[in-house]
Parts: sequence; C-alpha cells; structure tokens
Amino acid sequence: MQITKPQIDDFKTDRKDIMHPLPVILRLVPLLFYCSIGVTLILGSIFFIQSRIAEANKNAHIEQTASLTSQTEETLKERTALEAKIKKANDVQAWVSSSRPIQPLLVDIARSIGPKSSILDLRLERVPESPAQIKLALRLATDSTKQLDLTLESINRMNFRTFSPVQALGHGELDYRATLVRQELREKAETP
Amino acid sequence: MKAIDLKSILNFSAFRPEPDDPSAVWEKRFPDEKTTFLGIGRAKITWREISSALPHVPLDSAQGEIKETLPQVADAIKAQPGKEWCSVSLNSRYVISLETNLSRRPGSEDLLKTNPRAIIGSRYEKGKSYAVTHNPETNSSILLSFEDDFLKKIEALFKEVGLRIGRLCCGTYVLLRHALSTVNTAKGTDAPVSTFFIVCCEGTVCALVQDQDRWVELRSRTDVYEDDLTPIADLLAPFQSRLAPEIGITLIGDEPLQGLPERLATVFPNRSINDLSEPGLLTDLMVQN
Repeated sequence: MQITKPQIDDFKTDRKDIMHPLPVILRLVPLLFYCSIGVTLILGSIFFIQSRIAEANKNAHIEQTASLTSQTEETLKERTALEAKIKKANDVQAWVSSSRPIQPLLVDIARSIGPKSSILDLRLERVPESPAQIKLALRLATDSTKQLDLTLESINRMNFRTFSPVQALGHGELDYRATLVRQELREKAETP
Repeated sequence: MKAIDLKSILNFSAFRPEPDDPSAVWEKRFPDEKTTFLGIGRAKITWREISSALPHVPLDSAQGEIKETLPQVADAIKAQPGKEWCSVSLNSRYVISLETNLSRRPGSEDLLKTNPRAIIGSRYEKGKSYAVTHNPETNSSILLSFEDDFLKKIEALFKEVGLRIGRLCCGTYVLLRHALSTVNTAKGTDAPVSTFFIVCCEGTVCALVQDQDRWVELRSRTDVYEDDLTPIADLLAPFQSRLAPEIGITLIGDEPLQGLPERLATVFPNRSINDLSEPGLLTDLMVQN
C-alpha cells in the first residue's frame, strides 16, 4: 500500500476573494518596469551631464565670439585711425610738395619785415582755376606803408609781379591783398 | 486595476500566494518573513517562532483555557512585530473515526469542503467540517471532523487578540497522515504493512491498528495527558491483547516525549518500536506542506 504525502487539510474559513499567484513569466513586467526606470535614470543623468557640458561649451563659444568681435572692432578702429593718419600724412606730403616753389617767397617776405613791424597774418593760396596765380593776403602790424614797400620789393626780387592790389591802413595795421604772378610765366604767356 | 493591485505587482507580492491561501505551501506564502506556530490543547497553548533562517527555537507554553491565555500569548507574540500570521494546530474538540464505503470519485477531497454530504452520505452531520484519508487497498477511510461553531469561535478569538490565522488544522491528524505516508511506501499489495500507529500531540492520543494494510481499529482521545504519561499507557494497554504478535509499534509525536518509548515497551513487551518523533516535527510538517 502506498499513501502519498498529502496536502494539509485547512479548516480556516476561506476568504472569497483569495487571488492565486500570477504566473512566474509575468515577473518580467515589474522587472522590465524597474529596468526601464533604471535606464531612464542613467540616460537622463548622461543627457543632463552632456547638456551641461554643451551649455558650458556654448557659453565659451559665445564669449570667444564676443571677444573676437570686440578685437575685430578695435582692429577696424585702429585701421581707420591709421588710414586717417596715412591720408593726413599724404596730404601733408602733397602740401609740402606743392608748396615747395613758393617757400623761397615766404622766406623773403619774412626776411623783409623790419624790426618795427611784424606779420599778423600771411596767406598764400593758389587759384584753382589758374594755378600760376597766387592770392596774397598779408596783414602787418605797422604804422606806415614803408614796410609794405620793402616787402613788395622783396616779392619783385623773387620775380613775382602783383596785380589787383588792395591796401588798407588803419589802427596800426596794414591789410594788403593782391594776386601774384611769376614773372617768367607771365613773359612766357605774353611771348607768342 | 486598482492601485493596490499595481503595488502588489511592483513589489512582486502578486507572484507569491496570499498569506491565507490554503492551497499554497507555508514556506512559499512567507518566504522571508517570521511567522508563529501555535499548538492549542484544551488547557494548554504552545508556540514558537517559524523562521526559514533559524533552527527550531524552543516551544513556549501557557497553561489554561484558550480564552484566558490567548490574549497573553498574543501579547508575547506581538512583542516582536511581523509574527502575527499563525499556523495553528488545533487539538481539541475534534473527532477522528474510521469509516467505510465513503465516495472516492475524482475531486472528492475538494468536494468534501464544499458539499460534504455528497461524500460522507448518511454520516454527514450539519454544522461540521471534514477531512478524509482513504486506504487505497480497502474501502476504509479515516474521517476527521470539527464543529464549525468551534472553528469560528477560535477564528474570532484570534481576530480579537490581533493574530491572523494562515492555517488552521488538526495536529494529531497531520501527524497521523505523516506516519501513514512514511510507513506505507510500497505500491500494491505485495508487501503489506502491519503496525500499530500511536500519535501523541498536545495531550491528545490517537491509535490506529493497521493489519496487512487493513485499518482495523482506531481510537482517538483528546486531553489525555499533560506531564504524566500514565494516562497514555492506560489508554493503549487494552490494545495489547488485540494486536497480532508480529505487529510492531509506530510512535509519532509533535515533540519527543521523554520516557514514552520505554513506557510503551513495558505496556507492549516484545514489540519493536519505530519512533518517528523529532523535535519540531509538527512545525516542520506544517511549514513544508
């Protein structure tokens, strides 16, 4: 005779809503759930760290761009200033080159001024329409026209002739304006 | 789906049997938790902690009527939290009898719970719960019965003191079935077994005579003994004259009873005694099955 090992007879009042355990294979559901949470946390952490790094890189690039832009602006300003200086230097060079022929005239006018007189203002301007003519505007501090005569003599010695002179004397100042034409140029112009 | 169902899936408790699922083994219901074994006699309660991690701890006991002692026992059990689930061995106010010609149709053991009249027939008494063990070679069966009112009273008493019953069974019947399955292991009728089963549990004694695989006589008494073993010897002594000379004794108890085998040797001279008793045997059986 064989009597198998039986289950224990339970006399407890059974609950009506006792649930039998779910199949073991369904343990995959919570396992996958926890795995997905874990993966989400890991990926989230990675993405967060990466986004922080990317943001830091972006800020660094923005700062670098701003720095380079300001450097470019400064360089442009320096370049503009340099170009302005070059232009000024060129102008000075052009002026010096263009004024060389009348420099001896200026020196003679200055030398003609006597000890009792002085030059208050002296202007020599080329007439754009006729480059051979030079407009003279001279203001002297003097009591008589004697100083003006001396000055005009020295101008004549430099082979310049005066045309359309205008002269005004008063209050110790002599204002003289005339158009100067170089003698050789005039003679050349008059010779057929 | 309710939130509690979702929670039970996420904490994996939905994949374990519920604590009061009678179809599940105790170990699977409480794999990592501590629970309590309670043995209830008419005037004595014994209990011990059940833990898979620990070996058997010694039994604690309290003398007195269950109604009076259970609240104190419950306080002692609940002093350590998480042990309120109990596996209860009830050894009082039950009847074990030998019956014949009970229905053995498929599913009869399940039907016994829902419609016992269909299995027991004219021997059915209203207001009783039954369990049955059939002899596969004869038409005899061992029938255990409890009064439903008593069971409900016990359940209410446990609920009142804050303990939860995960299993409620008759310890004597469990030990008897264990002894039967241990001794009767050979299939068929080629090696018939003759033995005299003696079951002692929480003061109860159950004696079954098996002669050539036939269950001949069964006697069961509750509240037979406490510390003195003389009532056991007195109860069993009349069997000596009725037992065939070659029949040995198979003794089983919830705990080994000091001096009982020697006492039985004097009552049943010249008979072999096979003592299946082990410390914590009933606790083990209730946990492993």
